[in-house]
Amino acid sequence: MTILRRTSLGALLAVALVVPAFGQSGVDRIDSNMERVPLHTVIPDYPEVARRDRVEGSVQVCFNISRSGYPRRIAVRHSTNRLFEKIAKKAVRQSTWKPLSEGEQESGIKACRTFRFSLVSAIENEQD
Amino acid sequence: MSYWIILVAALLLLACPELAADEESKTVIGPRNALLADGADALKAGDGVEGVRLTLGGLEIAQGELERKMGHSNLCAGYLLIDKPLTALPHCNWVLERDPNHWRTYNNRALVYLRLERFEESEADIARGQALSPSSRNLKIAKGMLLDETDPVRPNVEIDERRNAMEKGSDDSSKN
Repeated sequence: MTILRRTSLGALLAVALVVPAFGQSGVDRIDSNMERVPLHTVIPDYPEVARRDRVEGSVQVCFNISRSGYPRRIAVRHSTNRLFEKIAKKAVRQSTWKPLSEGEQESGIKACRTFRFSLVSAIENEQD
Repeated sequence: MSYWIILVAALLLLACPELAADEESKTVIGPRNALLADGADALKAGDGVEGVRLTLGGLEIAQGELERKMGHSNLCAGYLLIDKPLTALPHCNWVLERDPNHWRTYNNRALVYLRLERFEESEADIARGQALSPSSRNLKIAKGMLLDETDPVRPNVEIDERRNAMEKGSDDSSKN
């Protein structure tokens, strides 16, 4: 019984020592959606079939950003047309962010990026 | 130019004489009208001059309405391919006068009208073709080509990093 109490106490102490190490000792939690700095942002091409058929739409892609700045677990969260989903995911996959420095910690919160695909009249553009 | 070749190649599929033999329930080994068949092959390969030459030869020995219809349909596509839309037009008309449900010829004639900058007639033929064959990829391409002439657009892609971007800032729609 005494051994059990000592073991439990030891476990509690260990937890008590570990928790401040994340919460207080100079480790910043980064909300990747707000604070991760993009290094290379890929803008997708407008899908040719969508352009031909005059289809517009939006896709929101959410993902984690690894410590080294690469997107992980990329998934479509919202989409108005499936025509745009594949190319939006590919653009995110090819994008990179600034790696975290030693003192920074990943927040685990997903970042999201919305792509809006629209068509502008070329005639108007020429007149401008 | 590549668009035209793809379209013409696709439109020739029903115009091969082998199929005529099937429809008439005769046992024929190989194409009955070799010139029409070779002309279709040449047009599919993008050789408009040779395709037209062979098809004209095939049309001279054509037997029955079906073979003649195929010949004229292919001539319409062939003359369009060699940039002679005014020569192509009567051949398309010949087919449609006899078969008003031939969506491929509506597609061909729409392209002829497009080349002649007769956009309203082109649009009408695309609409007729799509009524007969709503899922036709060729007609969608033709419509896209027409829209590029009459209502050209410039693609634009915006990136929004806000998590709630889809709820707030979107004004999504489909033009059609």
